[in-house]
Amino acid sequence: MMDELELLKKDWQKQGEQLPKLSYEEIYKMIWKKSSSLVKWIFYISIAEFVFWISLFFLPIQGEKLNSDGARLFQNLELSLEILRYIALVYFIVKFYKNFKRIHVTASARELMKSIISTRKTVMQYVWFNLGVFALMMIVVFIEFAKYDTTLNMTEKIAEADNSLLIWFLVGLSLLLFIAFCGFLLWLFYRLLYGILLKRLNNNYRELKKLEV
Amino acid sequence: MNKELEHQFVTELENNQNIVHKVCSLYTHDRDSHNDLFQEITIQLWKAYPKFRGDSKFSTWMYRVALNTAITLYRKSKRRVATQDYDSVIFKIRADEYDDTQERQLKLMYNAVKQLGDIEKALVFLYLEDKNYTEISETLGITEVNARVKMNRVKNKLRTILNP
Repeated sequence: MMDELELLKKDWQKQGEQLPKLSYEEIYKMIWKKSSSLVKWIFYISIAEFVFWISLFFLPIQGEKLNSDGARLFQNLELSLEILRYIALVYFIVKFYKNFKRIHVTASARELMKSIISTRKTVMQYVWFNLGVFALMMIVVFIEFAKYDTTLNMTEKIAEADNSLLIWFLVGLSLLLFIAFCGFLLWLFYRLLYGILLKRLNNNYRELKKLEV
Repeated sequence: MNKELEHQFVTELENNQNIVHKVCSLYTHDRDSHNDLFQEITIQLWKAYPKFRGDSKFSTWMYRVALNTAITLYRKSKRRVATQDYDSVIFKIRADEYDDTQERQLKLMYNAVKQLGDIEKALVFLYLEDKNYTEISETLGITEVNARVKMNRVKNKLRTILNP
């Protein structure tokens, strides 16, 4: 075996004259072509994700404002969540930018993979953060309207029913199921998207990492 | 200044293009992807060139960028399975230089190398290029000991491919 590899080595180093040879002009033309690297893909997709979630900021929250002291507490809660989202947005964009800047093609293979993975992770965290806030928001708005919306009168109607506990349970359950379903769809989407995009990278990174154990 | 940099870079790459071609032949399975990968490596080299300070040899610096591009950054790779009858420009054995057994042996070896994983190929490539384990470990970002361990595993794997 060793002999075979040595044989291969000798042959390998002799292959010079058989390799394709590009001219100065051909190479010169190449340096002006557009790159289609994985990092570029990741950059554009990440920007699209940020744009998507930012655009949700401007989604008008439907429904009229409720006027009661109890409802105001919930409205303050919603406002805090809103502010939290802005702070998080700035935090994640800065973090993303910093990570992205750390991607260097001249780093070692492992470092390069690691920096790409951590850049991805930042965007991923942002997405899950948003989903979390979205879920919280839904629960807050739901409770607010269930409790204080006089036109709905939901609490009273349910309280009048024979099996009110069961109804509350079912309402709560369907709300949770809905949130879980949204999360699942998002997770599936990401599995597909990044499964295709990052499968090779993840495998290679795992292989290098496995060596260190 | 910029024109000068361009000229300097293209000349350096023209003189050292063999390294890039070898990487391309190892990681692609047809002419088109070979050229495609060559182009991507060229772009990456050019983008990184302004930061190349010359504290290492141009060729040494190229190994990293070329391998990184082939392993991690290159996207259009058609993930085709290497077939036994694959016959690239580079792996064509010069029949007149070898006797039959040697020729056959080499052909089998080349085919076996083509069947390895991305990281394993990188190791074999650097080994064939006569790089020492310090350089191999730095290029891949693993320790020297682990580079040796991995190389031994790759040798074993090649043995299994060659003698199933």
